[in-house]
Amino acid sequence: MRDVQDKLRATAKDLLASGKVELVLGFEPASLPMRTRACFARTADAAERLVWNEFCSQNLAAYLPRLFEKPAHIRGDWTPPKVAVVTKNCDARSIIGLVKEHQLARENVVIIGMPCQGMVDPEKAAATVDERIAQACLECVSPSPIGADILIEGQSRPAAADRFQRVKDFEALTPAQRWDAFVKEISKCTRCYACRQACPNCYCKSCFIEQSKPSWAGAGDDLADLLLFHIGRMFHQAGRCVECDACVRACPMGIDLRLFTQKLVKDVEELFGYVPGVSLDDLPPLCTFQSDDSECFVTGPGEE
Amino acid sequence: MAQGSIKKADLGKLIEAVRRDGRFFGPIDQGDGACLAEVTPDAVLKLDYANFTLPPKRMFFPRSEVIATHEASGMAAVPVQEGQVVLFGVRPCDALALTYLDKVFVDKQFTDPYYRSRRERTLVISLACREPAATCFCTSVHGAPDGRAGADILAVEVGEALVLESLTKAGEAFMTHHAKLFASPTPAQRTACDAQASEAAKKVSAVPIDGLKAKLSGCAENAGVWDDIAERCLACGVCTYLCPTCHCFGLYDEQVGQTMRRVRAQDACTFPTFTQEASGHNPRTRHGMRMRQRVMHKFCYATENFGDIFCVGCGRCVASCPAHLDIRETITEVSQ
Repeated sequence: MRDVQDKLRATAKDLLASGKVELVLGFEPASLPMRTRACFARTADAAERLVWNEFCSQNLAAYLPRLFEKPAHIRGDWTPPKVAVVTKNCDARSIIGLVKEHQLARENVVIIGMPCQGMVDPEKAAATVDERIAQACLECVSPSPIGADILIEGQSRPAAADRFQRVKDFEALTPAQRWDAFVKEISKCTRCYACRQACPNCYCKSCFIEQSKPSWAGAGDDLADLLLFHIGRMFHQAGRCVECDACVRACPMGIDLRLFTQKLVKDVEELFGYVPGVSLDDLPPLCTFQSDDSECFVTGPGEE
Repeated sequence: MAQGSIKKADLGKLIEAVRRDGRFFGPIDQGDGACLAEVTPDAVLKLDYANFTLPPKRMFFPRSEVIATHEASGMAAVPVQEGQVVLFGVRPCDALALTYLDKVFVDKQFTDPYYRSRRERTLVISLACREPAATCFCTSVHGAPDGRAGADILAVEVGEALVLESLTKAGEAFMTHHAKLFASPTPAQRTACDAQASEAAKKVSAVPIDGLKAKLSGCAENAGVWDDIAERCLACGVCTYLCPTCHCFGLYDEQVGQTMRRVRAQDACTFPTFTQEASGHNPRTRHGMRMRQRVMHKFCYATENFGDIFCVGCGRCVASCPAHLDIRETITEVSQ
């Protein structure tokens, strides 16, 4: 992994020194052990701070819409920056999604693809090596980066055989049991919006939950309002979520959001044959319609 | 001052006695570590925790509460609740934070009846820390692993026993009321209490606080400093909602069926909408401005308004930040 990190630093320095990019967005050590944080490297010297290890779990694509938004105080023309981003395959898929949704231009971002051995879940750090890998990484079917502009060579972890086992177990429950499980998880929510803020897909300037004209929900922590927020946020992820797990990692209350967003991923994949963040060319399912589209998501899960 | 010791195995008897005419909250493992929850007869107390994920401030200043309702007959305040509540296992940093919230909500000129009634009916038994977390820095901000401020009774674990010491009149009355459940602590137990506290204090990380206010005032206008710190911030509310001293709130009028209700809900200065005005204008346009507000409010404005730094070093914001920002580093950076 040290070797991969050296190659990454050399690549970043080259990109910055040659003026191909103004910023390399990567990872640097954080103040706590087994944590990294975003590194905003703007000089070749600063690129020395970049690290690559099994704790680079944050999805840095979440910072991109902000970097490509014209600052409010600038009037007249503004040239967006050229930014290189250090990515795992899930993060790279988020970037593809952002390009597709016109949040940034493809030519302004250089995707540096890293070989991914799976990220460690700090909560599991005391366990043995394979047990330390985060649930999302254990279920990852494409750990090796695809579609990167620059591919750092190295070994990625093997792809998972079946990533939907937990979803299938959930689907096997009765509607009442599923609802109870959903309510039990969501009732832990403290509405800090960390899931939304950490998610690259949640770039709306004004989130529906905070709108006041009309107001869709109350401001407090009534269960109905918590459910409304999460159902709303999840449904906005249909055909867009790349299963990077940023929402789960960000949640201070340990809510298992993954189970529910993954159910949407599975439905979109099975019903519409669409996998988000892989290709710039295929149309997202919410932007297209075919007369033979399945409607079973309306009538009931698993019914045709 | 009353003192007493009780075997941990006998805590159930104390809980049972309290529950006869009140409610008892303590550290309970609900699957995600210890949280401060109401103890029922079959609940198992969990004593090996660094701290609760959510601060006990919620017992006094909830995430949201209805404070008034409005029907055809007119507007009515929601009555305050009654009956004794005992909180057991509050860490000394969080107890200290209550003394700061008291200054905000039980001000001589403006008193918050909801907060005050909860404070008055609640007895706080704090539990001294033996194993501080890597994120703790209480000793730099007027706290200690066995700090006494804000609690009615301090409990210290010594082997299989808890040694209790009353700190207020209410605490003394509680211990006198339940006197038959307590034995006299032995001199050895008392020595152990002090030794444990000084051992624990050695494990707490240090942050440079001296002269911080002047240094903060010096860089308040330096936007670059705050923009740099805020660059990593994702603008969620984890640090504020998990903070034991953050107390900003908003008032919202909500319609439920044919009635209106006025809700008070905690707010967070890290949200882009925090100071947004009705016109749509927001005086804090950049992330860095909001970061500055958070840091300055705690370490500068609070000292001007209340004479105290509004940070107790619990480390929740450090441990739970999804972008791994560290307030200790921020303080160190602006101190240089």
